[in-house]
Amino acid sequence: MSEEIKEVAKLQSVNALRKTMDEYFLRLSTAAETGNKKIAWCTSVGPAELLYSMGFEVYFPENHGAMLGASKLADKYIPTAVAHGYSPDICSYLTADIGAFLQNETPLQKNGFKSVPKPDILVYNTNQCHEVGDWFMYYAKHFNVPILGVNTPLWINELTPSIINGIANQFKDLVPELEKVAIQKFDLEKFRETVHLSHEGCVLWRKVLETAKHKPSPINFFDSAIHMGPIVVMRGTQYAVDYYKILLTELEERIKNNISSIPNEKLRLYWDGMPLWYKLSSMSKLFAHHDTCVVASTYCNSWVFDDLDPKDPFESSAIAYCKLFIVRSDDAKQNVLEKLMTDFSIDGIIYHDAKTCARNSNNRFGLQNRLNEKNKIPYLEINGDLCDSRCYSEEQSIIAIETFIKQLSTRK
Amino acid sequence: MYKIGIDLGSSFTKGVLVDDNNNIIDYHLTRTGFDFNKAAQKIIDKFSADHEIQYPVYTCGYGREELKIPFASNSEIIALANAVFKHYNKKCSIIDIGGQDTKYVTVSESGQVDKFKMNRKCAAGTGSFIEEIAFRLDISVEEFTSLAKQATEETKINSYCTVFAVSEIVGMIKKGSTMPNIILGIYNSVIDRSVELSPIEDFLVITGGIPDNHPLIVNLFKKRFPNCDSPEKSQFMAAYGCVLLNLENNI
Ligand code: SF4
Repeated sequence: MSEEIKEVAKLQSVNALRKTMDEYFLRLSTAAETGNKKIAWCTSVGPAELLYSMGFEVYFPENHGAMLGASKLADKYIPTAVAHGYSPDICSYLTADIGAFLQNETPLQKNGFKSVPKPDILVYNTNQCHEVGDWFMYYAKHFNVPILGVNTPLWINELTPSIINGIANQFKDLVPELEKVAIQKFDLEKFRETVHLSHEGCVLWRKVLETAKHKPSPINFFDSAIHMGPIVVMRGTQYAVDYYKILLTELEERIKNNISSIPNEKLRLYWDGMPLWYKLSSMSKLFAHHDTCVVASTYCNSWVFDDLDPKDPFESSAIAYCKLFIVRSDDAKQNVLEKLMTDFSIDGIIYHDAKTCARNSNNRFGLQNRLNEKNKIPYLEINGDLCDSRCYSEEQSIIAIETFIKQLSTRK
Repeated sequence: MYKIGIDLGSSFTKGVLVDDNNNIIDYHLTRTGFDFNKAAQKIIDKFSADHEIQYPVYTCGYGREELKIPFASNSEIIALANAVFKHYNKKCSIIDIGGQDTKYVTVSESGQVDKFKMNRKCAAGTGSFIEEIAFRLDISVEEFTSLAKQATEETKINSYCTVFAVSEIVGMIKKGSTMPNIILGIYNSVIDRSVELSPIEDFLVITGGIPDNHPLIVNLFKKRFPNCDSPEKSQFMAAYGCVLLNLENNI
């Protein structure tokens, strides 16, 4: 017999979030139209601080990819990119984004853009994957603008001085090229300032995520995936800092007043891997309906660069961006996960195996089994994708998730 | 009063009629089609013709939350595990091969689901794989089994993809492979896909419409895993499990 639908408590900060994001896009569209500022395209875990310090407005194609997924438009665009030679097996942020570009459409048109803002330069870091290089190269060729990259080795186990120094030097090597496009000199003090702001924003974001250690949690993963926007695109600016102060205050208030994200939290889960952007809201409802809160995730935790240090901005950037979860070996990842499981009192883990993102699917080399052997926390693997909904079988996944929740409840 | 358990599968809906002593006294199977309510109603109509039945009916499977009749639903995996555990009364692993899903479930000494996995998105290793090939080669289920019995050696099928598997088979026929040997290859390919879900360590129970309709598959499993069995009418296990589970929960 059908039960009442249990709603997720809405965060009031969503209004401030919308305003913060709208203003960000307004700054970008103004730059695109008036040319008052140069525009750099950057990967989501690329050197945003350096770019902001040199006066660029910074645009993130991955954020655009996520928007295409969340607005359920990706399926419309992916086939166009495929027809142009991009395999359906590669990153669906990439195929959705390039497909939309080829069709000359973007959800940003709602924000007053004619098209995505034309780049003056593109800067990537391969710390997340190598596909970003191919992705940015498409636009570099199309717009005939320079492209720069930090080439971080994948699968970092130990952060050795040689890796850190190598990456710090690559960051430094970006400067002369950026100066040419920015038509201004690099200013170390300004860079220190953006690194300081980025650090402050990351610490606030970490504190936001850490409120979920509280039982019951005031926030869930599906909210965090939306509220992470500013830390991705405005890292290194006052805007992100201001926004996370608002969000943190609301969450601390919730804890004080015993307001939880879902009405009746009985189980606490960890989400590993990418969100299914096109299913964010139905997933959120599904878990709430079963008194289950997804309290923490690999994805949202990835934007905590709290090693950034204005005293040593290049080296600390190298450390922060090489410490990133996605670039680490499975052993290093396992250590991070183990700690998170304890810190957030996790009852079960869901691994999302995203068809088109191998780097963000952590169940492909046995990590899930090794972790389970150690901490005995049950896990479930679901197959899907970040943007390409054709790779996701909803009915099958719901059955699996509901069974998993029942399985966990009987253990409690 | 008699209780009904219904398992709404992607291809077939399975129903059991259960008496006061909790024994199954009748079975009914119908194609699910596109209307879950209709499929469930067919089961109820069949059983209620001669028996006074009790509501709610106990359900599991696809679309179970949308039924218009009074129902109490359960996860099909937990229901299956429950019935299998009651049947064998020991720790085991289950491989259930249905129309669209292949499931692997481990059941603990106390009868709880320990772990479970489902096949990935595609039809490899499920009933659809066999059905589609049978359809394309114009062979009935009955012929499938009798032909497979005549096999002298296995012709290995490599392709995961059903459509490509058919082209592969056509190529094999051209090269002189016999139909019995090919069918043995098809059966083994279904088994290969299903045992990829997990290493098998415990007593293994095979269930589902595919082993029921293709008993040779069970024999092939037994060859690979001597500590293995398949209960009679195994595809009704989840439907029966729904009834048993709800009795436990006193619904
Ligand atoms: S990490 Fe995954 S989602 Fe991100 S750009 Fe690379 S392939 Fe795409």
